Parts: sequence; structure tokens; C-alpha cells
Amino acid sequence: MRQTAAPLLGIGLVVSLVLLLQWAIGVGLVDEYTVPRPSEIAAALPRLVTEEHVASRFMVTVGETFAAGALATLVGTALGAALYRWPLMRRSFEPWVAVLAAAPLVLAYPLFLVLFGRSSLTVVVIAFASALPPVVLQTVTGFAAVRPVLLAVGRSLGMGRAAEFRRILLPAALPSVFTGLRLALMFGLINVVGVEFLINLGGLGALINDLSERYDLPGTWAAIGVVVLVSVCFFATLDGGERWLRRRG
Amino acid sequence: MAAAAGLMRSGTLLPRLAASVLLLAAWQALALSGLLFRDVVPPLGALAAGLWGVLADPGFWGNALVTGGELAAALAIGGALGIAAGLVFGASAFIAAALERWMTWLAPTPKIILFPVLILFCGVGPGSKIAMGAVSCFFPVLLSTAAAVRGVDPVLLRVARSFRARADQILVKVYLPAAVAPMLNGVRLGFGVALIGVLLAETKLSNQGVGFLVMQAYARFDMPRMYGLLIVVVCFAAAINVAIGHAARRAAAGPIAREN
Amino acid sequence: MRRRHLLATLSLLALLDAPARADDLLKVAIGQRGNWENSVSELGQDAGFFKKQGLTLEILYTEGGGQTQQAVISGSVDIGIGVGTYGVLGAFGKGAPVRIIGNSMIGARDLYWYVPAASPVQSIKEAGGKSIAYSTTGSSTDLVVRGFQRVFDIKLNPVAAGSPASTFTQTMSGQIDIGWASPPFGVEAAQSGRTRIVGRGSDVPDFADQSVRVMIANAGAVARKADAIDRYMAAYRETLAWLYADPAALDAYAKWAGVSPALALQVRDEFYPRANMEPDRIRGLDGLSQEAVGLKFLAAPLRPDQITTLVQNKQAAQ
Repeated sequence: MRQTAAPLLGIGLVVSLVLLLQWAIGVGLVDEYTVPRPSEIAAALPRLVTEEHVASRFMVTVGETFAAGALATLVGTALGAALYRWPLMRRSFEPWVAVLAAAPLVLAYPLFLVLFGRSSLTVVVIAFASALPPVVLQTVTGFAAVRPVLLAVGRSLGMGRAAEFRRILLPAALPSVFTGLRLALMFGLINVVGVEFLINLGGLGALINDLSERYDLPGTWAAIGVVVLVSVCFFATLDGGERWLRRRG
Repeated sequence: MAAAAGLMRSGTLLPRLAASVLLLAAWQALALSGLLFRDVVPPLGALAAGLWGVLADPGFWGNALVTGGELAAALAIGGALGIAAGLVFGASAFIAAALERWMTWLAPTPKIILFPVLILFCGVGPGSKIAMGAVSCFFPVLLSTAAAVRGVDPVLLRVARSFRARADQILVKVYLPAAVAPMLNGVRLGFGVALIGVLLAETKLSNQGVGFLVMQAYARFDMPRMYGLLIVVVCFAAAINVAIGHAARRAAAGPIAREN
Repeated sequence: MRRRHLLATLSLLALLDAPARADDLLKVAIGQRGNWENSVSELGQDAGFFKKQGLTLEILYTEGGGQTQQAVISGSVDIGIGVGTYGVLGAFGKGAPVRIIGNSMIGARDLYWYVPAASPVQSIKEAGGKSIAYSTTGSSTDLVVRGFQRVFDIKLNPVAAGSPASTFTQTMSGQIDIGWASPPFGVEAAQSGRTRIVGRGSDVPDFADQSVRVMIANAGAVARKADAIDRYMAAYRETLAWLYADPAALDAYAKWAGVSPALALQVRDEFYPRANMEPDRIRGLDGLSQEAVGLKFLAAPLRPDQITTLVQNKQAAQ
């Protein structure tokens, strides 16, 4: 019973907030020309599907996010593991990675446009570059937080480095790696949609830009809803994957 | 002086120097190769001139102060709310089960689309920029803090409860110290996102701030100046990161190390 | 005794000298700072024309018409300058609290299209099949590009490239064949031979007599601050006259936009005839309204009574 109570409460809370917003706009507490009524947003969705090719744009955004997120996770975990493995490299470059995480790479989009052309590649590269540092940092922290007693046990059993990595470090740091994966997807999607919006190219971000320029507010917010849908798909898949791995481990 | 000595002793000087030289050489080669549009990939000399132009411009420092203030306020508000919510989410499995997935789903939405709403409630001045930064950093800080709290060793919790510690005592004496280091990591991330949020907001509707200057420089296609501004921003971010990093290391070391 | 008299007299004089009211504050949102069309408010404020009318302007800059419009609609600012007319018609058609208080630009004479010097394209007429930039959907650049295809009977490949700076980046690095710009942006590059101008907005005669960009105000502001807005328009007219008469104005503009005074003169005379910027000449709303329907900005053309509500300019000469 407890299992289903919490998620139901969550949904209930969200629905209540939506209804509250509908009421607030209706009585004029919130300007209806800045935030459209949830009912109008819902009504705009079918129009997006039929007139604005939302389905194909959805796939473009999903594809770019998957590419950026997967790359960031693979490269980021590898780099994080490398930094952990060689303490001198970690001391030298972990601060640099932390700085990159705070750098407004998105603002340098003209540079990326020139380097990679006006295509999905630019979107993916900027999203990859933005998502990489958080994953690296998270991986390093995760490996570093593995309890020393576990490593001591491994050494006393005569494990080599490879075995130590596979049997102790990776499983113990797995939650951290999955957090890193979440961060990669989160930063990846936000930057993919953000860059699409900025340079008006490709998927859902370009659609949001178009609709907001046309002052189609319900459409704009509906398109944002579709972005949330992309988010839901990725994270639901991730949660499922994590649960499956845990059962195996 | 002490920092420089520390740098040399830790052995990080050589790798960093090597990496810097490599990166700068690669950039210069790319710029001079003629393969790319020279204006957008300027040689190092032009970059240096742009950087100098920014630093020597008295108008820049006033704008930098404005952005810095907005950022500080955004971090304070978004960070505090994110940590508070994260502590709750981490400690209460029920609330986490109810709401955390919504937070994760909402986190990757482009917050810039909320900007018109924020202007409506917080005005066209610094208020909306602060709000933008706060909203941007709330989610990463929340999720990192929740994960950090969940990572607290259950043994510590059992020990605390065996001493009949109250909930607030457990919060302050077990959760906070154990979660501080990963939490500060979350704040580091939040800082970056808040900075980007504030700068993007300043490019949208403003008449002051570093984001405004970036927009002006690009609109005139003064790329060396734009890069100069971005380099200064990155250096500033570096400085803040070093500070947070120090704080994180001291926190992780524990109270005994701190007393020393 | 004498000192108290002195004090009283001074206070009385001070009271008499004080202005009847403090300056009124108007918030103005403008896109693309540095553009001649958008320079009137800030240059006018610097030169004291608005202060003379008892106004202080708080000027904020946006990245373009769409954002300016949204800021006005939400009431966050009072006045918006240089907003695409289609967008305004569309918003008004949906019931948004926006009013047109003046004309920002008639026709598209200020817009020009260019190629890198090395490009084989000499003029748009012969550029069939090439990619050509415009800013965003429904903007005046979008319409001119469609106009090119009609007027020259060719097929082009339009690309929404964004601002002049963004377009310049993409054009000069070969990703788009033909870029667009609005002076003073890129004029130096054209003069020095780095780029070549291959088409002008005036090549498409359709817009020559239409207000493609307008000055708008929030409907609530029009109701509450009607007098202040009238004074804003008065100061605007004065500033415009000054900009076209006084060489010092060109110097001020040059300094503000970061160009040479000589370039400023060329830009003004070649691209911005004064008649196109007269704020009281709001032209062609009927035609624009019809076209807006075709572009999905409006569901149906605006009725005459709707246009009467929309346009709040007492001096408007049709």
C-alpha cells in the first residue's frame, strides 16, 4: 500500500497545482497573456502534432540528447576513472574540470557554429561539452568515496588493479556513476534544447523559438511539455536500467 | 607566495603547464591555418588585445559588479532552497518517492522560457536575473543534495539512534557533516548553472551586466571583446571554484582537521 | 531675526522654483542596440529631448522583436520599439493588451543581402537554388526573401539564421550562401571589399508603403499614462528632426554605435530616408493584416473597428 501511496500523492500534488494555476489565471492573479491556461495548453497539443511535425522534431531532439548524453557518460566515466587512477593528474586537472562545469560554453556558440557547421553536430558537441565536466566530477567523487576498508579487503585477497576496479570500485561507485548518467542526460537535454532554441535549428528547441516568435503561447508551453516528455522517457529508461542492474548485482 | 610554493610542491605545475601550452598551440595553429573564419577563431594576439580591452575598460567593472551581485543572490536563494529541499528528499523516502521523479523530469526543461513570467513577478531589473539564476540552480543542487544524504552510511545513523538522538540532532550531527563534501560538489555545479542562467537572462532583456556586454560585443561582431569577456568570466568561475574546493576539502577532513 | 527671515525667503524661493512634478518614468524595450532605427530613444535621452518633456526613460535592450513584444504585453515595460507588425497583429488578434502608438520603419530599404567576396553570386536575380538567410519566421527579412522569389521568379532555399551577427558568422564560414544584415552592421565589410551586396529590401516593391515595424505600448499603460506617452512621442519627433539636421547628432550616433561619423552619414542617407521613420506615418495595416492571415499570425483579417482600437496615435496620417 505504501508503495503506491507516495507516487499517487505526488501526482495528486501536481494535478492540484495545475488546477490552482487554471483558477489563478481565470481570476486574473496571473497574466493570461504571459502564462496561458493549462486547458489551452492541452488544447494546443493536437495542433502541434498535425501542423508542426512535433513527432519528427521529437525524434531529432531525442537523438541529439542520446548522442550527447551517451558520449558524455562514456568519455566522462573513463576520464573520471583515469583521474582517480593517477592522483597527480587528478590534483592537476580536477580543478580545471570544475571550472569548465561553470563555464558558459553556450555563450560561445558562434565558435562552435564555425567549427562544426550549421547542423545537429554543433548541437551535440555543445551539449556534450557542457555535460562532460559534471560527469567527470561525479565519477571521481564516487570512486574516491568508496570505503577504504573495501579496498583493503581486496588487496589482502591479492586482487590486481583490474580486478579491484571490476569487483570493488565499479560496484561500490555504481550509484555515483548512475547519478553521473542522470546529470549527463539532464545537462545534455537542457543544452540540446537550449542550443536548438538559440540557433533555431532542428528539433523541439527550434519549434519553441518559432512558436514564441509567432506569439503562440499555448503552443510554446505545449512544446515545452513535449520536452518534459523527452525527459520522462530518458529517465524512465534509466530508472528501469538501474533497477535491472541492481537485481543482477 | 604560499600558493605558488604549494603549487610547486604538489607537482601539479608541470602537467598544467604542459596542457596549457598544448591547448594554446593547438588554438593558434587552428587560427592561423586559414581553414576557419578568422574573425571567429582569432589568433592569440587578437584574443589578448580583446582581453586587455575588457580589463582596461572602467565600464566593464561596474557591469561585472552587477552580475556578481545577481549571481551571489541567485546562489543564496536557489542554493539554500535546493539544499533544504534536498535534505528533506534525502531523509524522507516517502517524500522522495512522491516527488523526486517530478523534479528529475522538470530539471532539463529550458528555464529561459520562464523568463517572461519571472519578469512579470520580479521586474525588468536585477530581480528577474536573480530569479532566473535561482530557478536554474535549484534543481541540480536539490538532486545532488538528496543523493548525498542518501549516501550517508547507515551505520552512522544506527549509532546516532542508539544514542536516542532526536531528528534535528541527527540532521545537524550526522547528515550535515557526512553529506557536506558531496553537497558542496552539488553547490559547485549549481554555481555554474546559476552563472549561465544569470548571463543568459542578461542577454534577453537588460541594460547592464556582463551578459549585456557580451550581447553588445557580438551584435557589433567585436569577437575579440566577446572572447575577452568570456575569458574573464571563466577566470572568475575558476577563482570561486578554488574557494569552494578548499571549503569542501576542509569539510571532508572532519572537525579534528579543522581545529588544526 | 534677520537670519530667520533669510531662511524663510530662501525656502519660499526654493518652493517656487521646484518643478511642478517629478519626472515621469517610462520603461522602453528596444531590440538590436546600435541600429539607426533604434537609436532615437537613447540618443534623444542623452541629448536632453526627453528630459525637456519631463520624462526619464529606463531603456532595456532585447535580442529582437519577439522578446520586446512579450515584455510589452506582460506590462513589464510600457513601450516597445521596432517590433515586427505581423507579430503585433497576431498578438492583438488573440486579445493581448497591446496597442500601436507609432510607426518604426516603413518599407525594407534598410535591409540588405550580401555574399563573401569570393562567392560567384553577383546578384540575387541569378542566385536560384542558393541558401539565403532571414532572421526569424514572420520577420520583415522573412517576407523580403519570399518577395525576392516572387519578384525575380526564382527558387531560393531560406534559412532562419537569426541576428546579423549570427548570420555573418554562418555566411562567412560558408554555411549559408547569402546573408542578411541591417546597417551599420557589415557596412564596413562591404566597403572594404570583404563582402559584396547582392540585394536590397527595396528590390521588393510590395513593402515600400507598409509599416513593417511599429512602436507599441501596453494597453494598460496607454490608459494610465496617456499624457506621458504623448510627451514621449513629442520628444521622439524632436529627436528624429535633430538626427537628420544636426551634424552633432551624427557624431553622437557614431560614438554610440562604435562607427566613424562618415560611415554614420552614409548609413543614414543611403539606408534610412527620414520619411520611412516618421512615427506618425502608420501605413498599410489593411494589407499587412491580410498577409498575416496567410502566415498563420492571424485567424482572420482585422476588422476596421479592431484597427481603430489597435492604433493609438492621435496624429496618425493615413
